[in-house]
Order: sequence, then structure tokens, then C-alpha cells
Amino acid sequence: MNPAPQDFDQLRKLLALKRHEQPPPGYFNHFSDKVIARIEAQGLVMRPSWRQRLFPELDAKPVLACAYGLIITGLLVVGLGVSQSLESEESPAPTLGSPWFAQTPAPASLSSGAAVARPLTGQTDLTSSVDPVFTSSPPRFLFDVNQLRFERASYDLH
Amino acid sequence: MNANLLEKARVAPPPESDPQVEQRLVKRAKCGDLEAYDGLVRRYQERIYATIYHMTANHEDANDLAQETFIKAYQALKSFKGDSSFFTWVYRIAVNKTINFLKQRKNKTHMSLNDLDFNTEHDADLLALISEKTPRREVNLIELQEKLNIAMQKLSQVHRLVVTLHDVQGLSHEEISRIMDCNTGTVRSRLFYARQQLQAYLSDYLK
Repeated sequence: MNPAPQDFDQLRKLLALKRHEQPPPGYFNHFSDKVIARIEAQGLVMRPSWRQRLFPELDAKPVLACAYGLIITGLLVVGLGVSQSLESEESPAPTLGSPWFAQTPAPASLSSGAAVARPLTGQTDLTSSVDPVFTSSPPRFLFDVNQLRFERASYDLH
Repeated sequence: MNANLLEKARVAPPPESDPQVEQRLVKRAKCGDLEAYDGLVRRYQERIYATIYHMTANHEDANDLAQETFIKAYQALKSFKGDSSFFTWVYRIAVNKTINFLKQRKNKTHMSLNDLDFNTEHDADLLALISEKTPRREVNLIELQEKLNIAMQKLSQVHRLVVTLHDVQGLSHEEISRIMDCNTGTVRSRLFYARQQLQAYLSDYLK
């Protein structure tokens, strides 16, 4: 709707008088202080989350958030790669034909095919999980079943 | 033409400073920085107060409502997404608060007008309006102020708001449409109707 043109020039000049109505001098000097004081008095002060404290600029700049994400992902990938390479250097995986196998003396049980008695406790010599041969002698547990003795108990009831 | 330009320059709100500064202040305020929020309040306190004052014609009510507006804005700051400027958003809160207040107050109008500032007596347009009527300018300016405020109070709330925002505060139709959440055509028609009403109420003072 387009209102018909009308001369409101005089009225607009008169309305300009409203702009001269001013609050008492110095009124605005303390206005914001009063607002802030009321916010504090009402316990409305916002506490920032840990994310906002650490990265206050993330909310305003999504590009920055993406960049942070990429950097962190990149660091994780690099970290994983480094840790794997270090592991492989310290304990190389046992593969057939590798030098590790060549240096390890082959167990007699494997070479002769006979079972070799080895103590499981005490002098345990488990060099490798590929040699699951148990000793024929029972292990020396704290309560050695083979050395248990039965004694009759007699109670004097009188 | 020059008169129009001068009028526009005088009516136009102070130029918005860097919106990025405002965004930074809002962001910091969202993180609980009260100093930043204080900066935002200082930025808009005069305009928010003035809008509410011209709507209520009462300094004490305007003072309370303006403070409550900024407190409410702080409470709702987390929900501010930045789709509009902070200025428009706060204005909307102020307008809603004021209209609710006026609905509750209904017809119990009690004017508590602010004093006219020193510049009033040097305003050529105003002097031209009253000079032919009486030589006692000061008295008549105050009388004129009262008549004008009474006439404004006779308008409906939305019409008073449009006149206040456009003719007193100097906001554009587009800004007003954003604040009032309506289209610019509605703003223009409301403004036209409100001016017509005011012209009729103040016919004795308008030649």
C-alpha cells in the first residue's frame, strides 16, 4: 500500500522537539554500571565452558575450528605412525627366515621330537610362546598336593 | 533540498561503528566477560532509553524498562545467533518489553517528562513554529512539549512506535521493519496514519 503523499513537514519539525527532551545530566554516566550491578546481584553472570576458555575464537570462525580439527587429526596420525615405527624397531615381528629366528636356539624338544621336562615354576624358562611344553614334575605350589599328609585328629572329649 | 539534507543528517542515528567490534564484544560477553557487555550497554543505552521514554513519556518507567531490557538481553545472549545485528536484537527486546508494559498500564498515563536541553532555544525550526504565536518562547516550548506528548499518547502503541523510531529516532523503514518484524509497506502505511492522527491532534500548533 502506498499512502498518498501529504506534507508532514511542519509536523516533523514539531516532532524534532522530542529529541531535545533529555534525562538529567550525567544520567548515562552510571547507567551501564547499574545494569552490570543488577546482573551480578541476580547471579546471572555467565561462566564460560572449558572449550570457550581455551578456544574463544572458535564460535565466531568455523574455518578456524576446521583448521584446529585438521591439525589435531594430523598430529594423531603422525603420533600413531611414530609409535608403530618405534615398536617395530624395538621388537621386530617374528617372521620365518628373519634373523631373530636364526639367533634363537631351537628348543631340543622341537629338534628331537621328545618331550623335555622343564620346571614350570622356579626355574621357568619360557623363552617363547611357541614352546608350550610342560614339565612332567608337578609344579611347586604353595600347597603341594603330592606332599600333603593326612593326620588323624583326636579330640579328648572328657 | 538543503533543508531536507540537514534534517536527515540531524535525525539520522549516530553512524554504527565497526560491526566487527560489536561482534567481538558480543562474543566476549557470551564468554562471561562483563566488561565487554558493559561496552555494548554503553553503545546503545541512549537510543534504547530514548525509544522507551518516547513511548512511555515517563522518565522513571523508561529508566526501569531500559535497565530490564539490557538485563533480559544479557540473559538471552546465548540464544543470540547473530542473524541480525545486536542493535536490532536489543531494540526488539526493548520494544516488546515496552509494549507489554503499556498494555498492563493501559490508560493510566502519568507523564514525567524530561527537561528540554539548552539547544532547543537555538533550534530554528522550532523557533519558527512558535515565534509568531508568542514572545515568551520558553514557556511555549514547554507547553508545546506537553501538547506533543499528550498527542503522542493518544496514538496506538504500534503507531507511536513507528513515529518514535522514524521521526524522532531517525531509523530507516528497513530497520524499523526488522525491529517490528513486518514489511516496509506496513511501516510506511502505519507511519502515514500516525502522522495524520498527530497532525489532527496538533492542528492548533501547525500552520
